[in-house]
Amino acid sequence: MPGGLGHGQSERVLPLRSLRKDPMVKVTDLCKRFNGQEILAGVNLRVKKGEALALIGPSGSGKTTLIRAINGFVIPDSGSISVGAQEISPNNSESLRQVRKKIGMIYQLFNLVERTSVEINVLAGALGRLDRGFSLLSSTLGFFTREERDKARELLHFVGIEDKARERVDRLSGGQKQRVAIARALMQEPELLLADEPIANLDPKSSRKIIELLFRINQEKKITMITVLHHLDSVRDYFHRVVALKNGSICFDADTRSLNNRRVQFIYELEEEREWAAA
Amino acid sequence: MGGSLSRDHFSRAGRLWGWFLFLVILGFSFKESQVDLKSLVGGLAQSYALGKEMLPPDFSRWRQVLVMAGETLAMGFWGTLFGMILSLPLGFLASRNITPNRWIYGGSKFLITFLRAVPEVIYAFFFVTAFGLGPLAGITALTIATVGLLGKFYAEAVESIDEKPMEALKATGSRTLGVIGHAVIPQVMPLFMGYNLYLLDHNIRVALTLGVVGAGGLGVELFTQMRGFHYQKAAAILVIIVLIIAAIDRASASLRNSIIKGDLLQRGNRLKDVPLLGTIGILAVLSLYFFPFELHTLIAGAPRIWEFLKEMFPPDFSRITIYLQLILETLGMGITGTFLAILLGLPLGALTARNMMRHKIIYNLGKEITNFLRAMPELVSALIFVVAVGLGPFAGVLAIGLHTAGFLGKFYAEAIENVDPKPIEAVEATGARFLQRISHSIFPQVLPLFNSYNLYILDRNIRASTFMGLVGAGGIGFELVMTSRMFEYKQMAAMLIVILSTLMAVDWFSTYWRKKVV
Repeated sequence: MPGGLGHGQSERVLPLRSLRKDPMVKVTDLCKRFNGQEILAGVNLRVKKGEALALIGPSGSGKTTLIRAINGFVIPDSGSISVGAQEISPNNSESLRQVRKKIGMIYQLFNLVERTSVEINVLAGALGRLDRGFSLLSSTLGFFTREERDKARELLHFVGIEDKARERVDRLSGGQKQRVAIARALMQEPELLLADEPIANLDPKSSRKIIELLFRINQEKKITMITVLHHLDSVRDYFHRVVALKNGSICFDADTRSLNNRRVQFIYELEEEREWAAA
Repeated sequence: MGGSLSRDHFSRAGRLWGWFLFLVILGFSFKESQVDLKSLVGGLAQSYALGKEMLPPDFSRWRQVLVMAGETLAMGFWGTLFGMILSLPLGFLASRNITPNRWIYGGSKFLITFLRAVPEVIYAFFFVTAFGLGPLAGITALTIATVGLLGKFYAEAVESIDEKPMEALKATGSRTLGVIGHAVIPQVMPLFMGYNLYLLDHNIRVALTLGVVGAGGLGVELFTQMRGFHYQKAAAILVIIVLIIAAIDRASASLRNSIIKGDLLQRGNRLKDVPLLGTIGILAVLSLYFFPFELHTLIAGAPRIWEFLKEMFPPDFSRITIYLQLILETLGMGITGTFLAILLGLPLGALTARNMMRHKIIYNLGKEITNFLRAMPELVSALIFVVAVGLGPFAGVLAIGLHTAGFLGKFYAEAIENVDPKPIEAVEATGARFLQRISHSIFPQVLPLFNSYNLYILDRNIRASTFMGLVGAGGIGFELVMTSRMFEYKQMAAMLIVILSTLMAVDWFSTYWRKKVV
């Protein structure tokens, strides 16, 4: 398996043409203002099934807002989003819940329940599926079936911390916590994985391992992925496509190989100059 | 097992056994404290009837009541001041980083723990027996109990200081006292001030109740009026007590907040801090007026205490089986009272958590109920419940349960308000339903805290149960009064030893489990 990932062209992501063409995520004319400030100014985006997309851009450019709009935690002012065939309608909580079941979310600060065990946290990922009748009752009370528990174990094995299953989350390191969070997201059996700066709070070594893990998930499980990321080397090595946001609109959208230094400077530095000018 | 617990550290069978054990203990406690559903409903109805007799409060004796209130405040003030003076050296002696001699350190630490193990009311009862009725017994009791608390707080504060300045001063060749004066005191001063204020607050509350066992203050008046069936006059005193406690509660919280933040008397706070500190000053002057300058009592009392102690030795354990039965009853009262407090505290906590309750009126109503329950001292309400539902542990359970429901309601609400919203969103993002979200993201966050508070309240309720009997509300305290009335001081000593060892064991148990739970 991917022992020396990230060191050569041969281990890059599979080329895009092997992917299916139908869109997983469709964002149309998305606008969002917040406190009078324009956060998203008409974003249009199609993400193909199986694609690994990196979302970059200076802070405040609307990356997080875009991600959170996709699973309905941000209500857009106008425009539409659909995931698979289903449209996101933030005001219909039942349909929103049905879409969310298919979308795994990974956070910068892991968002785990610190005082409970790793296993219970992973099992929480199954709650969306266990939403009817007896399984709703038993999962609410904290009882899960043998199959669910086995699946949780299997996923913990997959993310490489099977031995920590009974440990309390607050005893784990940051890298380990992010693995738990990833296992929880996979427990949903998602079709789409959203990650909001998954390595921003990790040291370089753990960061690399987490990125490699996300890469494997995309490649082996064929799960579509949208990741907010600032680590551009990782973006080049592990992602199909890079989209850059600036001032709420997309300013760059291409194959990651075309992300050269000049373009990176365009995306990040010009913004600084403008800030300087404003100051 | 070295670590702390989480739900699935136990197997399913283990959990079932735990629940079984819990129910057995609860059933036993209900039996011991003579509580069942019928008596609970009946008791509340009787209390309601008594409450109606208390209305309207009769303030015709307001002059006497005011004087007594002054005496009570003075008792709290003197108890705190003397306790402070005694705690200061003891606190330093019980700090590992100041006292290098292991024996002095260990001895001081043990003395503090020992003093803390006995409830103030039991001290007061003891000194009333030794000195006779009056505020002197109350002040002495408060002083000793204060040393137990303040000594611990001081020592912890001193042990937590930054040692670098200390070493710097030692390096200049300064003597130990110099080091303490210039490197330790400046660091611990704000903490000490906060603790002193807390103790003043605490002691005035306690002083309000000590009179119930004859140790001076408003409690004496309340006890007399209740026993004389003057319920409307008693109600007037109750109103005064609750008002004083509510005022102290707010003033002390505000001042301590300023001290902790370090902006006491800073611009913006002056308007509220100056009057508050001024009130403490007036209280100090007032206290001089009320000080029981009965030097002859004190001088006469000193040999009396010695004689009294001699009369207590050797303790007479011949009735030990009865004491143990009474201890069981006391434990049962504490457990049942805690159970009642949890049952009432849960809805109060949920209703008064700002992030749960959007409805302003219900929120405020819940807050007021919680504050009132906390403000009503349990010994005082026990006195009333004894009249309403009769002598026995049931009155004690009601008093303890209602009082600590106020504490738990407040603690629960704070725990719910401090819940981390991040995991809640994460669980929501998996498509979980409302109840699933509560059980998997809110509950696991607050449950360990709730359990820790419950254990703390259990500990404190068992302590309270030991002195409920002093007003006839069940437990071992009643027997304590009887033996002292019969001048059976050797038996009394045996009972005190039994109480002390039980309370130390309960304290150890509660601390141990609280560490495990959180």
